[in-house]
Amino acid sequence: MQGSQQQAYDRGITIFSPDGRLYQVEYAREAVKRGTASVGVRTEDGVVLVADRQTRSPLVEASSVEKLHSVDEHLGIASAGHVADARQLVDLARRRAQMEWLRYDQPLGVEALTKEITDHIQQYTQTGGARPFGVALLVAGVENGEPRLFETDPSGTPYEWSAVAVGGGRDEIQEYLEDNYDDSLSLGDGIGLALEALAVPNDGELDTGGVEISTVDVESETFSTKPPEEVAELVTEHGLAEGGEDE
Amino acid sequence: MTDDRLQPDGASSDPDPFGSELVPNDALGGERAEQLAGDDEMVNKTGTTTIGITNEDGVVIATDKRASLGGRFVSNKDVQKVEQIHPTAALTLVGSVGGAQSLIRTLRAETSLYGTRRGDNLSISALATLAGNMMRGGPFFAVNPILGGVDEEGSHVYSIDPAGGVMSDDYTVTGSGMQLAHGTLEGEYDPEMSMDEAVALAARGIQSATERDTGSGNGIFVARITADGVEIEDYDDPAELL
Repeated sequence: MQGSQQQAYDRGITIFSPDGRLYQVEYAREAVKRGTASVGVRTEDGVVLVADRQTRSPLVEASSVEKLHSVDEHLGIASAGHVADARQLVDLARRRAQMEWLRYDQPLGVEALTKEITDHIQQYTQTGGARPFGVALLVAGVENGEPRLFETDPSGTPYEWSAVAVGGGRDEIQEYLEDNYDDSLSLGDGIGLALEALAVPNDGELDTGGVEISTVDVESETFSTKPPEEVAELVTEHGLAEGGEDE
Repeated sequence: MTDDRLQPDGASSDPDPFGSELVPNDALGGERAEQLAGDDEMVNKTGTTTIGITNEDGVVIATDKRASLGGRFVSNKDVQKVEQIHPTAALTLVGSVGGAQSLIRTLRAETSLYGTRRGDNLSISALATLAGNMMRGGPFFAVNPILGGVDEEGSHVYSIDPAGGVMSDDYTVTGSGMQLAHGTLEGEYDPEMSMDEAVALAARGIQSATERDTGSGNGIFVARITADGVEIEDYDDPAELL
Protein backbone atom coordinates (compact mmCIF):
# COMPACT_ATOMS: atom_id res chain seq x y z
CA MET A 1 0.00 0.00 0.00
CA GLN A 2 2.81 2.34 0.97
CA GLY A 3 4.56 1.47 -2.31
CA SER A 4 1.57 2.28 -4.54
CA GLN A 5 1.01 5.57 -2.68
CA GLN A 6 4.62 6.55 -3.29
CA GLN A 7 4.33 5.66 -6.97
CA ALA A 8 1.32 7.91 -7.40
CA TYR A 9 3.42 10.97 -6.59
CA ASP A 10 6.20 10.20 -9.01
CA ARG A 11 3.98 9.26 -11.94
CA GLY A 12 3.00 12.78 -12.85
CA ILE A 13 5.56 15.55 -13.11
CA THR A 14 3.02 18.16 -12.04
CA ILE A 15 2.13 16.44 -8.76
CA PHE A 16 3.72 17.45 -5.45
CA SER A 17 4.27 14.72 -2.87
CA PRO A 18 2.61 15.38 0.53
CA ASP A 19 5.97 16.59 1.86
CA GLY A 20 6.27 19.11 -0.97
CA ARG A 21 8.69 17.36 -3.30
CA LEU A 22 8.62 16.92 -7.06
CA TYR A 23 9.96 13.39 -7.45
CA GLN A 24 10.46 13.62 -11.22
CA VAL A 25 12.69 16.66 -10.79
CA GLU A 26 14.71 14.84 -8.14
CA TYR A 27 15.04 11.81 -10.40
CA ALA A 28 16.28 14.13 -13.17
CA ARG A 29 19.01 15.31 -10.77
CA GLU A 30 20.00 11.65 -10.36
CA ALA A 31 20.24 11.39 -14.16
CA VAL A 32 22.75 14.26 -14.07
CA LYS A 33 24.87 12.41 -11.49
CA ARG A 34 25.01 9.38 -13.79
CA GLY A 35 26.80 11.47 -16.41
CA THR A 36 30.52 12.17 -16.41
CA ALA A 37 31.59 15.45 -14.80
CA SER A 38 32.14 18.90 -16.24
CA VAL A 39 34.00 21.62 -14.33
CA GLY A 40 33.96 25.40 -14.70
CA VAL A 41 36.48 27.83 -13.18
CA ARG A 42 36.20 31.63 -13.41
CA THR A 43 39.45 33.60 -13.35
CA GLU A 44 40.27 37.29 -13.79
CA ASP A 45 41.36 36.60 -17.39
CA GLY A 46 38.43 34.45 -18.44
CA VAL A 47 36.40 31.32 -17.79
CA VAL A 48 37.62 27.73 -18.17
CA LEU A 49 35.34 24.77 -18.96
CA VAL A 50 36.66 21.22 -18.87
CA ALA A 51 34.72 18.01 -19.42
CA ASP A 52 35.36 14.32 -18.95
CA ARG A 53 34.16 12.49 -22.05
CA GLN A 54 35.18 8.95 -21.27
CA THR A 55 33.95 6.63 -23.99
CA ARG A 56 32.55 3.17 -23.34
CA SER A 57 34.63 1.62 -26.14
CA PRO A 58 37.98 2.47 -27.72
CA LEU A 59 36.24 2.11 -31.08
CA VAL A 60 34.01 5.17 -30.52
CA GLU A 61 35.33 8.30 -32.21
CA ALA A 62 36.07 10.56 -29.24
CA SER A 63 35.24 13.68 -31.27
CA SER A 64 31.62 12.48 -31.64
CA VAL A 65 31.09 12.74 -27.87
CA GLU A 66 30.48 16.46 -27.44
CA LYS A 67 30.18 17.97 -23.98
CA LEU A 68 31.51 21.48 -24.65
CA HIS A 69 29.49 23.56 -27.06
CA SER A 70 30.08 26.94 -28.66
CA VAL A 71 26.94 29.09 -28.42
CA ASP A 72 28.10 32.40 -29.89
CA GLU A 73 31.46 34.11 -30.33
CA HIS A 74 31.62 35.01 -26.61
CA LEU A 75 29.52 32.21 -25.04
CA GLY A 76 30.00 28.50 -24.39
CA ILE A 77 28.20 25.69 -22.55
CA ALA A 78 29.43 22.51 -20.82
CA SER A 79 26.94 19.76 -20.03
CA ALA A 80 26.57 16.76 -17.74
CA GLY A 81 23.79 14.19 -17.94
CA HIS A 82 21.68 13.29 -20.97
CA VAL A 83 23.59 14.41 -24.06
CA ALA A 84 20.44 14.47 -26.19
CA ASP A 85 18.67 16.75 -23.69
CA ALA A 86 21.74 18.99 -23.57
CA ARG A 87 21.68 19.37 -27.34
CA GLN A 88 18.13 20.72 -27.24
CA LEU A 89 19.09 23.34 -24.65
CA VAL A 90 22.29 24.24 -26.51
CA ASP A 91 20.26 24.82 -29.68
CA LEU A 92 17.84 27.03 -27.72
CA ALA A 93 20.85 28.96 -26.41
CA ARG A 94 22.27 29.41 -29.92
CA ARG A 95 18.93 30.69 -31.23
CA ARG A 96 18.52 33.13 -28.33
CA ALA A 97 22.06 34.42 -28.87
CA GLN A 98 21.29 35.12 -32.54
CA MET A 99 17.91 36.61 -31.60
CA GLU A 100 19.76 39.19 -29.46
CA TRP A 101 21.78 40.25 -32.53
CA LEU A 102 18.64 40.46 -34.68
CA ARG A 103 16.58 42.31 -32.12
CA TYR A 104 19.12 44.66 -30.51
CA ASP A 105 22.32 44.23 -32.58
CA GLN A 106 24.28 43.38 -29.44
CA PRO A 107 25.88 40.29 -27.84
CA LEU A 108 23.63 38.38 -25.41
CA GLY A 109 24.74 38.61 -21.77
CA VAL A 110 25.72 35.45 -19.88
CA GLU A 111 23.16 36.05 -17.11
CA ALA A 112 20.37 36.82 -19.60
CA LEU A 113 21.20 33.65 -21.59
CA THR A 114 21.24 31.52 -18.43
CA LYS A 115 17.81 32.84 -17.42
CA GLU A 116 16.41 32.18 -20.91
CA ILE A 117 17.59 28.56 -20.55
CA THR A 118 16.36 28.08 -16.96
CA ASP A 119 12.96 29.61 -17.78
CA HIS A 120 12.67 26.99 -20.54
CA ILE A 121 13.77 24.17 -18.22
CA GLN A 122 11.26 25.33 -15.56
CA GLN A 123 8.35 24.94 -18.00
CA TYR A 124 9.11 21.21 -18.07
CA THR A 125 8.61 20.94 -14.31
CA GLN A 126 5.09 22.34 -14.53
CA THR A 127 3.70 20.93 -17.77
CA GLY A 128 1.72 17.69 -17.85
CA GLY A 129 2.80 14.97 -20.27
CA ALA A 130 6.42 16.14 -20.44
CA ARG A 131 9.49 15.08 -18.47
CA PRO A 132 12.13 17.41 -17.04
CA PHE A 133 15.52 17.89 -18.71
CA GLY A 134 17.96 15.28 -17.34
CA VAL A 135 20.92 17.58 -17.71
CA ALA A 136 22.86 20.28 -15.86
CA LEU A 137 24.72 22.97 -17.80
CA LEU A 138 27.61 25.31 -17.10
CA VAL A 139 27.15 28.56 -19.03
CA ALA A 140 30.36 30.56 -19.50
CA GLY A 141 31.08 33.83 -21.23
CA VAL A 142 32.24 37.41 -21.12
CA GLU A 143 29.75 40.22 -20.49
CA ASN A 144 30.81 43.91 -20.55
CA GLY A 145 34.42 42.77 -20.16
CA GLU A 146 33.63 40.65 -17.08
CA PRO A 147 33.97 36.84 -17.01
CA ARG A 148 30.77 35.12 -15.80
CA LEU A 149 30.02 31.46 -14.95
CA PHE A 150 26.53 30.07 -14.30
CA GLU A 151 24.99 26.67 -13.57
CA THR A 152 21.52 25.43 -14.56
CA ASP A 153 19.87 22.40 -12.90
CA PRO A 154 16.80 20.27 -13.82
CA SER A 155 14.49 22.38 -11.63
CA GLY A 156 15.29 25.46 -13.74
CA THR A 157 17.12 27.41 -11.05
CA PRO A 158 20.11 29.54 -12.13
CA TYR A 159 23.21 29.86 -9.91
CA GLU A 160 26.35 31.94 -10.44
CA TRP A 161 29.70 30.47 -9.34
CA SER A 162 33.41 31.21 -9.04
CA ALA A 163 34.12 27.52 -9.63
CA VAL A 164 31.68 24.63 -9.91
CA ALA A 165 31.29 21.01 -10.97
CA VAL A 166 28.26 19.16 -12.35
CA GLY A 167 27.76 15.44 -13.02
CA GLY A 168 29.24 12.31 -11.47
CA GLY A 169 31.62 12.85 -8.52
CA ARG A 170 30.36 16.41 -8.10
CA ASP A 171 30.68 16.45 -4.31
CA GLU A 172 34.34 15.36 -4.30
CA ILE A 173 35.25 17.73 -7.13
CA GLN A 174 33.44 20.66 -5.53
CA GLU A 175 35.26 20.03 -2.25
CA TYR A 176 38.59 20.14 -4.11
CA LEU A 177 37.60 23.39 -5.83
CA GLU A 178 36.54 24.94 -2.50
CA ASP A 179 39.90 24.04 -0.94
CA ASN A 180 42.03 25.24 -3.85
CA TYR A 181 40.18 28.10 -5.59
CA ASP A 182 41.73 31.55 -5.43
CA ASP A 183 40.21 34.55 -7.17
CA SER A 184 43.58 35.82 -8.42
CA LEU A 185 44.19 32.78 -10.66
CA SER A 186 45.38 33.37 -14.22
CA LEU A 187 43.56 31.63 -17.07
CA GLY A 188 46.40 29.08 -17.28
CA ASP A 189 46.15 28.42 -13.51
CA GLY A 190 42.39 28.04 -13.98
CA ILE A 191 42.90 25.31 -16.58
CA GLY A 192 45.26 23.53 -14.16
CA LEU A 193 42.80 23.76 -11.25
CA ALA A 194 39.89 22.57 -13.41
CA LEU A 195 41.90 19.56 -14.68
CA GLU A 196 43.10 18.64 -11.19
CA ALA A 197 39.55 18.86 -9.87
CA LEU A 198 38.20 16.75 -12.75
CA ALA A 199 40.83 14.07 -11.94
CA VAL A 200 39.89 13.85 -8.23
CA PRO A 201 37.28 11.05 -8.52
CA ASN A 202 39.73 9.06 -10.69
CA ASP A 203 42.64 9.07 -8.17
CA GLY A 204 44.19 12.16 -9.72
CA GLU A 205 44.54 10.72 -13.20
CA LEU A 206 42.97 11.59 -16.55
CA ASP A 207 42.85 9.80 -19.90
CA THR A 208 44.51 12.37 -22.19
CA GLY A 209 42.11 11.46 -25.02
CA GLY A 210 39.04 11.66 -22.79
CA VAL A 211 39.17 15.32 -21.77
CA GLU A 212 37.85 18.46 -23.44
CA ILE A 213 39.07 21.97 -22.58
CA SER A 214 37.51 25.29 -23.66
CA THR A 215 38.08 28.86 -22.55
CA VAL A 216 36.39 32.23 -22.99
CA ASP A 217 39.07 34.83 -22.40
CA VAL A 218 38.33 38.40 -21.42
CA GLU A 219 40.76 40.04 -23.82
CA SER A 220 39.50 38.51 -27.07
CA GLU A 221 35.97 37.83 -25.71
CA THR A 222 36.13 34.60 -27.69
CA PHE A 223 35.12 31.04 -26.84
CA SER A 224 37.69 28.52 -28.09
CA THR A 225 38.20 24.79 -27.69
CA LYS A 226 41.71 23.36 -27.41
CA PRO A 227 42.77 20.85 -30.08
CA PRO A 228 43.37 17.26 -28.78
CA GLU A 229 47.18 17.56 -28.99
CA GLU A 230 47.17 20.65 -26.79
CA VAL A 231 44.76 18.97 -24.34
CA ALA A 232 47.16 15.99 -24.06
CA GLU A 233 50.08 18.38 -23.45
CA LEU A 234 48.19 20.29 -20.74
CA VAL A 235 47.08 17.09 -18.96
CA THR A 236 50.65 15.76 -19.04
CA GLU A 237 52.12 19.12 -17.98
CA HIS A 238 49.97 19.07 -14.85
CA GLY A 239 51.11 15.52 -14.02
CA LEU A 240 47.64 14.07 -14.45
CA ALA A 241 48.20 11.75 -17.44
CA GLU A 242 47.23 8.15 -16.75
CA GLY A 243 50.29 6.02 -16.04
CA GLY A 244 52.39 9.18 -16.24
CA GLU A 245 54.23 8.46 -12.98
CA ASP A 246 55.49 5.11 -14.22
CA GLU A 247 57.22 6.56 -17.26
CA MET B 1 7.61 23.41 -41.78
CA THR B 2 9.98 26.18 -42.64
CA ASP B 3 13.67 25.81 -41.92
CA ASP B 4 14.05 29.39 -40.76
CA ARG B 5 13.69 28.85 -37.05
CA LEU B 6 14.51 32.43 -36.21
CA GLN B 7 11.18 33.55 -37.61
CA PRO B 8 8.96 30.90 -36.06
CA ASP B 9 5.20 30.66 -36.18
CA GLY B 10 3.07 31.32 -33.13
CA ALA B 11 3.23 27.70 -31.96
CA SER B 12 6.95 27.86 -31.29
CA SER B 13 8.34 28.93 -27.94
CA ASP B 14 10.64 31.38 -29.72
CA PRO B 15 9.54 34.99 -29.66
CA ASP B 16 9.67 36.84 -32.98
CA PRO B 17 12.93 38.84 -32.89
CA PHE B 18 11.46 41.60 -35.03
CA GLY B 19 8.09 41.89 -33.33
CA SER B 20 7.09 42.94 -29.88
CA GLU B 21 5.31 40.83 -27.33
CA LEU B 22 3.89 44.15 -26.17
CA VAL B 23 2.14 45.22 -29.39
CA PRO B 24 -1.32 46.41 -28.37
CA ASN B 25 -4.45 44.68 -29.67
CA ASP B 26 -5.57 47.75 -31.55
CA ALA B 27 -2.29 48.05 -33.45
CA LEU B 28 -2.88 48.53 -37.15
CA GLY B 29 -2.25 45.55 -39.44
CA GLY B 30 -1.08 45.91 -43.05
CA GLU B 31 -4.57 45.92 -44.61
CA ARG B 32 -5.94 48.45 -42.16
CA ALA B 33 -2.91 50.68 -42.71
CA GLU B 34 -3.46 50.57 -46.50
CA GLN B 35 -7.11 51.45 -46.06
CA LEU B 36 -6.14 54.40 -43.86
CA ALA B 37 -3.53 55.57 -46.35
CA GLY B 38 -6.43 56.07 -48.76
CA ASP B 39 -8.08 58.41 -46.22
CA ASP B 40 -4.99 60.55 -46.20
CA GLU B 41 -6.83 63.83 -45.67
CA MET B 42 -8.45 62.47 -42.50
CA VAL B 43 -5.28 61.30 -40.74
CA ASN B 44 -3.62 63.72 -38.35
CA LYS B 45 -0.04 64.32 -39.45
CA THR B 46 2.57 66.25 -37.62
CA GLY B 47 3.91 67.94 -40.77
CA THR B 48 6.70 68.96 -38.51
CA THR B 49 10.27 69.93 -38.09
CA THR B 50 12.17 67.84 -35.52
CA ILE B 51 15.86 68.34 -34.82
CA GLY B 52 18.36 66.29 -32.81
CA ILE B 53 21.86 67.58 -32.00
CA THR B 54 24.56 65.79 -29.99
CA ASN B 55 26.76 68.01 -27.85
CA GLU B 56 29.38 67.90 -25.10
CA ASP B 57 26.76 67.65 -22.34
CA GLY B 58 24.31 65.25 -24.00
CA VAL B 59 21.65 65.61 -26.68
CA VAL B 60 19.08 68.29 -27.46
CA ILE B 61 15.90 67.51 -29.35
CA ALA B 62 13.67 70.35 -30.58
CA THR B 63 10.29 70.16 -32.34
CA ASP B 64 7.57 72.55 -33.45
CA LYS B 65 4.01 72.23 -32.02
CA ARG B 66 1.71 71.99 -35.08
CA ALA B 67 -0.49 69.07 -36.23
CA SER B 68 -2.24 69.24 -39.59
CA LEU B 69 -4.74 67.42 -41.81
CA GLY B 70 -3.46 66.85 -45.33
CA GLY B 71 -0.85 69.52 -44.68
CA ARG B 72 -3.47 72.24 -45.37
CA PHE B 73 -5.42 72.65 -42.15
CA VAL B 74 -3.91 73.18 -38.70
CA SER B 75 -5.75 70.62 -36.57
CA ASN B 76 -3.82 71.31 -33.34
CA LYS B 77 -1.58 74.18 -32.23
CA ASP B 78 -0.14 72.66 -29.03
CA VAL B 79 1.22 69.19 -29.76
CA GLN B 80 4.11 67.75 -27.76
CA LYS B 81 6.13 66.01 -30.47
CA VAL B 82 9.03 64.81 -28.32
CA GLU B 83 8.41 62.14 -25.67
CA GLN B 84 10.66 60.38 -23.18
CA ILE B 85 10.81 56.62 -23.95
CA HIS B 86 13.80 55.57 -21.80
CA PRO B 87 15.50 56.97 -18.66
CA THR B 88 18.01 58.79 -20.90
CA ALA B 89 16.38 58.88 -24.37
CA ALA B 90 13.53 60.55 -26.22
CA LEU B 91 11.76 60.03 -29.55
CA THR B 92 10.05 62.57 -31.83
CA LEU B 93 6.61 62.19 -33.44
CA VAL B 94 6.90 62.70 -37.20
CA GLY B 95 4.28 61.59 -39.71
CA SER B 96 1.06 59.87 -38.63
CA VAL B 97 0.21 60.92 -35.08
CA GLY B 98 -1.47 57.57 -34.32
CA GLY B 99 1.47 55.55 -35.64
CA ALA B 100 3.95 57.65 -33.66
CA GLN B 101 1.96 57.52 -30.41
CA SER B 102 1.59 53.75 -30.65
CA LEU B 103 5.32 53.34 -31.39
CA ILE B 104 6.20 55.49 -28.36
CA ARG B 105 3.93 53.50 -26.00
CA THR B 106 5.41 50.22 -27.25
CA LEU B 107 9.05 51.36 -26.99
CA ARG B 108 8.42 52.68 -23.47
CA ALA B 109 7.02 49.29 -22.43
CA GLU B 110 9.88 47.40 -24.13
CA THR B 111 12.47 49.61 -22.41
CA SER B 112 10.86 49.15 -19.02
CA LEU B 113 10.59 45.37 -19.42
CA TYR B 114 14.21 45.05 -20.59
CA GLY B 115 15.44 47.14 -17.66
CA THR B 116 13.43 45.16 -15.12
CA ARG B 117 14.43 41.76 -16.54
CA ARG B 118 18.13 42.48 -17.02
CA GLY B 119 18.77 45.03 -14.28
CA ASP B 120 20.42 47.31 -16.83
CA ASN B 121 18.91 49.74 -19.34
CA LEU B 122 18.92 49.22 -23.11
CA SER B 123 21.83 50.99 -24.79
CA ILE B 124 20.79 53.71 -27.25
CA SER B 125 22.09 51.70 -30.22
CA ALA B 126 20.05 48.67 -29.10
CA LEU B 127 16.99 50.91 -28.71
CA ALA B 128 17.54 52.26 -32.25
CA THR B 129 17.85 48.73 -33.65
CA LEU B 130 14.66 47.69 -31.84
CA ALA B 131 12.78 50.73 -33.14
CA GLY B 132 14.02 50.04 -36.68
CA ASN B 133 12.85 46.40 -36.45
CA MET B 134 9.42 47.54 -35.30
CA MET B 135 9.11 50.05 -38.13
CA ARG B 136 10.06 47.40 -40.65
CA GLY B 137 8.14 44.37 -39.41
CA GLY B 138 5.64 45.73 -36.94
CA PRO B 139 2.25 47.39 -37.16
CA PHE B 140 3.54 50.97 -37.05
CA PHE B 141 3.35 52.93 -40.27
CA ALA B 142 4.17 56.25 -41.89
CA VAL B 143 6.44 57.68 -39.20
CA ASN B 144 9.95 59.13 -39.50
CA PRO B 145 11.18 59.87 -35.98
CA ILE B 146 14.47 61.01 -34.46
CA LEU B 147 15.83 59.05 -31.50
CA GLY B 148 18.21 60.91 -29.21
CA GLY B 149 19.83 59.54 -26.07
CA VAL B 150 22.81 59.27 -23.76
CA ASP B 151 24.45 56.05 -22.51
CA GLU B 152 27.85 54.77 -21.37
CA GLU B 153 29.17 55.23 -24.91
CA GLY B 154 28.18 58.92 -25.03
CA SER B 155 25.61 61.04 -26.89
CA HIS B 156 23.69 59.60 -29.84
CA VAL B 157 21.21 60.83 -32.44
CA TYR B 158 19.53 58.45 -34.91
CA SER B 159 17.05 59.11 -37.69
CA ILE B 160 14.67 56.22 -38.31
CA ASP B 161 12.83 56.04 -41.63
CA PRO B 162 9.39 54.49 -42.36
CA ALA B 163 10.96 51.37 -43.92
CA GLY B 164 13.08 50.68 -40.81
CA GLY B 165 16.31 52.33 -41.92
CA VAL B 166 18.37 53.42 -38.90
CA MET B 167 21.15 55.98 -39.34
CA SER B 168 23.40 57.46 -36.66
CA ASP B 169 24.60 61.06 -36.99
CA ASP B 170 26.02 63.99 -35.00
CA TYR B 171 22.89 66.00 -35.80
CA THR B 172 19.83 65.31 -37.93
CA VAL B 173 16.44 66.72 -38.95
CA THR B 174 13.21 65.00 -40.06
CA GLY B 175 9.75 66.24 -41.09
CA SER B 176 8.31 68.54 -43.73
CA GLY B 177 10.59 71.41 -42.69
CA MET B 178 13.79 69.37 -42.87
CA GLN B 179 15.44 71.21 -45.80
CA LEU B 180 14.89 74.59 -44.15
CA ALA B 181 16.25 73.50 -40.78
CA HIS B 182 19.19 71.67 -42.35
CA GLY B 183 20.11 74.88 -44.14
CA THR B 184 20.35 76.63 -40.79
CA LEU B 185 22.31 73.84 -39.08
CA GLU B 186 24.75 73.18 -41.94
CA GLY B 187 28.11 74.75 -41.18
CA GLU B 188 26.99 75.93 -37.76
CA TYR B 189 27.29 72.59 -35.94
CA ASP B 190 30.40 72.12 -33.84
CA PRO B 191 31.05 68.86 -31.95
CA GLU B 192 32.38 70.85 -28.99
CA MET B 193 29.13 72.77 -28.48
CA SER B 194 27.68 72.97 -24.98
CA MET B 195 24.05 72.01 -24.31
CA ASP B 196 22.99 75.69 -24.25
CA GLU B 197 24.72 76.43 -27.57
CA ALA B 198 23.08 73.37 -29.14
CA VAL B 199 19.66 74.41 -27.80
CA ALA B 200 20.08 77.85 -29.40
CA LEU B 201 21.11 76.29 -32.73
CA ALA B 202 18.14 73.91 -32.66
CA ALA B 203 15.81 76.84 -31.89
CA ARG B 204 17.17 78.72 -34.92
CA GLY B 205 16.46 75.64 -37.06
CA ILE B 206 12.86 75.42 -35.82
CA GLN B 207 12.48 79.17 -36.34
CA SER B 208 13.60 78.93 -40.01
CA ALA B 209 11.17 76.09 -40.68
CA THR B 210 8.35 77.89 -38.90
CA GLU B 211 8.80 80.91 -41.17
CA ARG B 212 8.51 79.03 -44.48
CA ASP B 213 7.06 75.49 -43.95
CA THR B 214 3.24 75.36 -43.73
CA GLY B 215 3.41 72.09 -41.78
CA SER B 216 5.53 73.55 -38.95
CA GLY B 217 4.87 76.27 -36.39
CA ASN B 218 3.02 77.38 -33.25
CA GLY B 219 6.05 77.36 -30.95
CA ILE B 220 8.74 74.92 -29.83
CA PHE B 221 9.30 71.97 -27.52
CA VAL B 222 12.85 71.31 -26.29
CA ALA B 223 14.13 68.10 -24.67
CA ARG B 224 17.50 68.30 -22.91
CA ILE B 225 18.91 64.77 -22.48
CA THR B 226 21.90 64.10 -20.23
CA ALA B 227 23.19 61.06 -18.32
CA ASP B 228 20.92 62.24 -15.47
CA GLY B 229 17.68 62.10 -17.46
CA VAL B 230 15.34 63.91 -19.83
CA GLU B 231 13.91 67.41 -19.26
CA ILE B 232 11.19 68.62 -21.61
CA GLU B 233 9.97 72.25 -21.78
CA ASP B 234 7.90 74.26 -24.27
CA TYR B 235 7.94 77.90 -25.43
CA ASP B 236 5.52 79.97 -27.53
CA ASP B 237 8.31 81.28 -29.75
CA PRO B 238 11.71 79.80 -30.68
CA ALA B 239 13.13 83.33 -30.30
CA GLU B 240 12.87 82.92 -26.51
CA LEU B 241 15.80 80.48 -26.73
CA LEU B 242 18.12 82.62 -28.86
